[in-house]
Amino acid sequence: MKKTINRRDFLKLAGLLPLGLAAPRFIQTPKGQKNVVILIFDALSAYHMSLYGYSRETTPNIAKLAERALVYNKHYAGGNYTTTGTASLLTGTNPWTHRAFQIDGGVAESVATHNIFNVFHNYYRLAYTHNLFANVLLKQFQNNMDDWIPRNRLFLGSYSGFIQTLFGNDEDTASISWGRNIKIEEAGYAYSLFLSHIYQPLQNSKVKNINAQFPRGIPTSNYEDNFTLEQAVSWISGRLTAAPQPFFGYFHLLPPHAPYRTSSEFYGRFRADGFTPKEKPIDVFTEHKDKNDLSRRRMEYDEFILYADKEFGRLYNYLESSGLLENTLLVLTSDHGEMIERGIVGHMTNALHQPVIRIPLLIFEPGRKTRLDINTATSAIDLLPTLLHLTNQTIPNWAEGIILPPFASAAPAPDRKIYVMRAIKNAPDQPLTTSVSTTMIKGIYKIHYYIGYPELKKRGQDELVKLFDIEADPEELVDLSLARKEIANQLLGELKAKLAEVNKPYL
Amino acid sequence: MITLSNSRYYRKQELWSLFLMCAFPLYFWTLLLAFRDVSWLTERTNAWDAVGVVSYGMVFASVESVIVFIIAVLLGFLVSRSWSGERRGALLGVLALIASLWATADQLYFLWGTPLPAWIFQILVKSAHPVRIIYGVLLALVAPTVILPAYFILQTDKGLQAAQNFIERITLLSMLYLFSAFAGLVVVIIRNI
Repeated sequence: MKKTINRRDFLKLAGLLPLGLAAPRFIQTPKGQKNVVILIFDALSAYHMSLYGYSRETTPNIAKLAERALVYNKHYAGGNYTTTGTASLLTGTNPWTHRAFQIDGGVAESVATHNIFNVFHNYYRLAYTHNLFANVLLKQFQNNMDDWIPRNRLFLGSYSGFIQTLFGNDEDTASISWGRNIKIEEAGYAYSLFLSHIYQPLQNSKVKNINAQFPRGIPTSNYEDNFTLEQAVSWISGRLTAAPQPFFGYFHLLPPHAPYRTSSEFYGRFRADGFTPKEKPIDVFTEHKDKNDLSRRRMEYDEFILYADKEFGRLYNYLESSGLLENTLLVLTSDHGEMIERGIVGHMTNALHQPVIRIPLLIFEPGRKTRLDINTATSAIDLLPTLLHLTNQTIPNWAEGIILPPFASAAPAPDRKIYVMRAIKNAPDQPLTTSVSTTMIKGIYKIHYYIGYPELKKRGQDELVKLFDIEADPEELVDLSLARKEIANQLLGELKAKLAEVNKPYL
Repeated sequence: MITLSNSRYYRKQELWSLFLMCAFPLYFWTLLLAFRDVSWLTERTNAWDAVGVVSYGMVFASVESVIVFIIAVLLGFLVSRSWSGERRGALLGVLALIASLWATADQLYFLWGTPLPAWIFQILVKSAHPVRIIYGVLLALVAPTVILPAYFILQTDKGLQAAQNFIERITLLSMLYLFSAFAGLVVVIIRNI
């Protein structure tokens, strides 16, 4: 028997090495498992979707497809901005557990392995996001993925790719600075005095062919890089067809996040349509936006939703015609909502009113032919255990959510509490004691609790409590904290007890 | 006393002064705008990230300074050999600064958000060639700021002396900015380790 191998044999064996490395995963792959695709439209508020009763027809495609889906009518994000909202969804835990508070922060290192990619370890896991801050989380979980797709993969011709290459460990901050340095765009000024004037025409020349398709400008990520949903959806469709099955795909697309730049097909669709939003009281965190400004921004946001809606329809049709949907759970949701009322525009607000935290959730399961509406309150943290349950996998004990109805054997407890939080200024290792917004939904009530904000201190208050009956008053027009003081005190006591409990390790 | 040199090549000191003159307005503007951004950055992220954005800004400004410097050096070869090295250095340094001031003015227009008076636009709209008028006015504004300093530096010793004194002061200040840029580079390296 030959004891040594020659160079040629070695090379042959070396050629098999990649296959050998990949083989154990695929050999161990459970047969007949359903694929899972989570599609996020960033900052998509359920409040602005005609699917959920909004009077502008913003989601005709989604509404049509929902006739074959599970539609969750009271679904809440974990937070009102990307970092916290996405972290809750991806970890299945509440914000005080994952501690992704700061806008470009990740989850606490001690819980970094508690993520949805890790629990789907028998799957081929791939993920992409346009969003800089969601990408921080994906980067943190990259060791639990098979394919972490670079952000610039779906940007139109860009000269910014070198930022990710050169400053990979600090991409988010480097990108922000690069944007402020070189991209003059709408602001009209940049740190760079000369190169910014050269950069802009160069960038424009790369995208000039599609300029006409986007009258408000080509969709962009933080005014940095341009992209189109058409390109993203086509790419995702192709990538899923080629991915080894079963796969777990997470795709976090930026629209309808600001800047609201819809395509020419939907531009002006809601102009002068006679729509009048409900008059709402000015909030303590108002940005003093006037009525006209709010009205214009609302129209632009709603028109941008139409663009996302159309492209979702295209993705769905592709998955259906390719046969993938026969064996794929498709989830449509968002990381947080958007608020264009009470003098506030966007989601960088301390307020936690319904439009900024109530998000869509639709689950398209193979074989479903009819719509099923779920009217109990549900949370983004429920998605992880539900998807594990639907793919016959074990739910880890660190998951804090529940299996969503109708899949759970029992209905959720009527006194279940759902929490949404904003603690953007909190360091992960600090207790949640100042500049914190929390809301707790329990039964028909929703209590808002704000602590330590300068806006409150100006009014001589350290905290602010609001109570709404969201069944009778879904628009949150009448604060019941005084009229139903007993209930407010009881719920506030429960919320404070929870905060005291989760703060204990950090005091 | 001013020495005459017919060499096309630059002396080290000449290059160093020219680089500092090119870098000064770029660092100044970067720091000004970056500090303006610090409050919203700190609010949305944290102080360390705000320091990061400023640091990257200084590093990018260094790269831009080198590019502007190289262009200025190359333009220097177009200056007639009959002018001394000192005159050429002073001229390039001052012209680099003037160009930066005009670029700053252009950005200040947007930064301050004060539009031109409506009557100017009305005149432009009524005229047959508004673009020509805009370029004509700009030329009339820019040309004296280039020609006058160039004339005084190249033709008079007093002008040269004044320019050199001015450059000396600016370069001293620029050294401080250079130190900040170095600190920025250290921060960038730390953040990427």
